[in-house]
Amino acid sequence: MRYPFPVGKSDFIQGDEAIARAAILAGCRFYAGYPITPASEIFEAMALYMPLVDGVCIQMEDEIGSIAAIIGASWAGAKAMTATSGPGFSLMQENLGYAVMTETPIVVVNMMRGGPSTGQPTFPSQGDIMQAIWGTHGDHMLIVLSPSTVQEAFDFTIRAFNLAEKYRTPVVILGDAEIAHMRERVYIPNPDEIEIVNRKLPANEEEAKLPFGDPHSDGVPPMPIFGKGYRTYVTGLTHDERGKPRTVEPEVHERLIRRIYRKILDHKDEIISYDKFMLDDAEVAIVTTGIVSRSAIRAVKILRERDVKAGLLKLNTVWPFDFDYIEELAEQVEKIYVPEMNMGQLYHLVKEGANGKADVELIPKIGGEVHTPMEIVERVVG
Amino acid sequence: MQIRLAGIGGQGVVLAGVILGEAAAIEGLNVLQTQDYSSASRGGHSIADVIISKEPIYDVIVTKADVLVALHQLGYDTVKDSLKENGLLIIETDLVKPDRDYLGAPFTRIAEETTGLALTVNMVALGYLVAKTGVVKRESVEEAIRRRVPKGTEDVNIKAFRAGYEEGLR
Repeated sequence: MRYPFPVGKSDFIQGDEAIARAAILAGCRFYAGYPITPASEIFEAMALYMPLVDGVCIQMEDEIGSIAAIIGASWAGAKAMTATSGPGFSLMQENLGYAVMTETPIVVVNMMRGGPSTGQPTFPSQGDIMQAIWGTHGDHMLIVLSPSTVQEAFDFTIRAFNLAEKYRTPVVILGDAEIAHMRERVYIPNPDEIEIVNRKLPANEEEAKLPFGDPHSDGVPPMPIFGKGYRTYVTGLTHDERGKPRTVEPEVHERLIRRIYRKILDHKDEIISYDKFMLDDAEVAIVTTGIVSRSAIRAVKILRERDVKAGLLKLNTVWPFDFDYIEELAEQVEKIYVPEMNMGQLYHLVKEGANGKADVELIPKIGGEVHTPMEIVERVVG
Repeated sequence: MQIRLAGIGGQGVVLAGVILGEAAAIEGLNVLQTQDYSSASRGGHSIADVIISKEPIYDVIVTKADVLVALHQLGYDTVKDSLKENGLLIIETDLVKPDRDYLGAPFTRIAEETTGLALTVNMVALGYLVAKTGVVKRESVEEAIRRRVPKGTEDVNIKAFRAGYEEGLR
């Protein structure tokens, strides 16, 4: 297979471009979107590349249509993605829940910009962390990844597709306007260097009759593909193992939703990913996700030069969240700081995890600029 | 090394930053390039930041510039405070009146004399910058120009770059 961009070598590209290339290498062959700053370059790249890899790139009437289209494409057997920013992500919330309920593998990219509403189109923010986790209604579970470099934007996109396929779930990539538009040197691997996961298909007629069952006792049912010989019923209503709506029996609803939780949470050790930086002997911990992690690493280095035993925990997955590990960390350190580009979102998760074992302090920043390292340092040293 | 390029929209400041970044990437260096521009396509300030290092890069914008290249007074006034006290200021001497020590040349005039096109001023300034700092090799920049400028304009851009480079060697 020939790719419409160089593989097996480094390139100097924007975060948006890295996400598009990674999606194609991960096997994405259907993209539907609606242009919006700062995610439009993902769409532009997909419009350029998709016809060259026998894929489909389609502009929909809006973001509601975009996510609906990729859900349909996924049921037709394609790996599918859409990308947007705040206002569009809000429009996608209902169908994000539909993807959770119908256990549809999709990847939704949200390059965060200042909000609420149309807010600051060209400036970065981390104001959608809680929305990515809890934006759609009802009890639900999904996976949220958050890159801090252009290389991570590439790597996490591949991982997003693999997790979506493996757990039959929507996966959200939370980037931001800074990562979207900045260029860095990125290694684009050869296809044979990348691990690719494909969804489980029904092994036989029996499995195909239970597209929402649990024949392998791992919480993840095989997914029949439209047009491949099986009759399948797909609905957002509460349904039984066969997919038939059964909305008035409490035990049916509980069985379905608990399995959707279980298929992710039983595998959370495999899904959750973080990087530690100088954390082993730390007395002060900084916990970050996404773009702010870069300033936090610099802040830790400066603090160490000043004989403050600081360390960083950089969360690559925002959800599911490792509350237990945060509690362990809180037992080790005296204080935890949470710098984030919002008025306090990740902070609440960290505080819940710390469970009173250490003080947790928010370092909020809004307006469109990433924290400088010194802004973090000055808060830590007081 | 933190390098900041500042001018107004239409001077090709961001493209110069991208090409400088690409040249560093070609040499296997770590590099980050970001930009800040007003919404006007011409006339507003336009800033391109390039950070080049053998070490991992954590900054996302230039905090203390080692080098500031100013092609227009508006860009200079916007970001002059970000240049280190002992940093290198390079200016378009016809268009910027600086308030500190500087190097520079009338880049726009050189562009017009060399290629007949004032809009190649970005390549002239880039050549001058590379000659003065040696931050990347001349050959890497020429390769980056070939990759990044519109097809058919490679030669004229490289000609402008070389003119700036020669000026920088004086």
